[in-house]
Amino acid sequence: MSQKKLAFIFPPFASDYPEDPFSNLTGFDEHFRKFLSRAAEFADPELIRFDYSKNPFLDDELKTQYIAYIQACSLISWFREKGVVPGYSAGYSMGIYAALYQSEVISFLDGLVLIRQAYKEIRKVIPENGFGMCVIIGFNRDDIEELTRKENLDLQIAIQNSVCSFSISGRSEDLLKFTESAQKEGALNTRILNVSIPYHSIYLKDLGAGFSEFIAQMQFRGPKMPIVSLVDQEILLEEDLLKQEVVRNLFTPLNWYQTQLYLQELGVNRFIECGSGKGLVKNARFIEGDAVSMNANSFSSTLNN
Amino acid sequence: MALITENTRKEVTDIVYNFFADECEVDIKDLHADTNIIKDIDGDSLMFLELIEIFKKKYTLEIELKTIGKYAVKHPVQTIGQLIDMQMLIIEHENKLLELDQ
Repeated sequence: MSQKKLAFIFPPFASDYPEDPFSNLTGFDEHFRKFLSRAAEFADPELIRFDYSKNPFLDDELKTQYIAYIQACSLISWFREKGVVPGYSAGYSMGIYAALYQSEVISFLDGLVLIRQAYKEIRKVIPENGFGMCVIIGFNRDDIEELTRKENLDLQIAIQNSVCSFSISGRSEDLLKFTESAQKEGALNTRILNVSIPYHSIYLKDLGAGFSEFIAQMQFRGPKMPIVSLVDQEILLEEDLLKQEVVRNLFTPLNWYQTQLYLQELGVNRFIECGSGKGLVKNARFIEGDAVSMNANSFSSTLNN
Repeated sequence: MALITENTRKEVTDIVYNFFADECEVDIKDLHADTNIIKDIDGDSLMFLELIEIFKKKYTLEIELKTIGKYAVKHPVQTIGQLIDMQMLIIEHENKLLELDQ
């Protein structure tokens, strides 16, 4: 396998879990329990109680981010043991911390610190209620902007997922109005996400300075493999640029669609979603190019064969 | 406007059944016209969108997604049979789909 043509992509958090998301990965549970245990000791003792069906923490935004990060790091560890190291990594939204870990820019524990500190800084400027995000499928950028103007809504495109799929951030009441109007105007699907934070939008601009100061004191190392910025699709190779990226990632719109296209231009022909679901794999069907996308569980089957 | 024949319907039906069997990892023999796409086989709107794109390419259709969305608001699709019926209308009427309601 040419690993230069392989990219690991990291989801931000799960909204639900399949019954046995890593069933094909023999020995994965040992990796996961090891990382989970360290995270519980370091970040939140409650994490040790995590269970996919009985205690999934799906209503706790911080814990779901921790779990997604722990899963991603466990997968990285599992794949390393099998000799699989990708040529590139990219983190969708809060998946950025796993991408940094993959590239050995930060340690596992520093990733937990970043997740916790970002959440803490966000909560200083965003209340528990009043904001959120939604996803819309079947509208292009112009359709969204036109509807937002027409209805005079306080919203912002947060992530472009494909030509006709977007994540939108804003005030809860405006998101609700937007989804209702968009359905009437012909959106194929709209869904309010189970988050109370308007990620990747101007609403988080005020936390930039505090988070920057915090990150400035952390130690970042030069990446062992290139990380692609979701903001402007630049390859990030220097510690300072990576620190800036972590900060601006919170309040700047992201373009996942262009990022996957750019990675293909760089020669990537296989994307592996390092998480429990298939959200990024499903989205990849609407991104041009011949690259194959699969989740970690499916990819591991190809290793065995 | 495409000419619909019995063969077109068979083509569409075959594509839809094979698509869901593959995507939802179910035996094609377990799928039927009354199968509820979301409740029975855990399908989603991205699958619906992907099928639209497949048929747009196959039959060189000129239709905006918003037109399909507006039609779907009045004629919601829940089952595989309903999806095939709607797809046949999309192929036949393309961007004039909404005129069917006038």
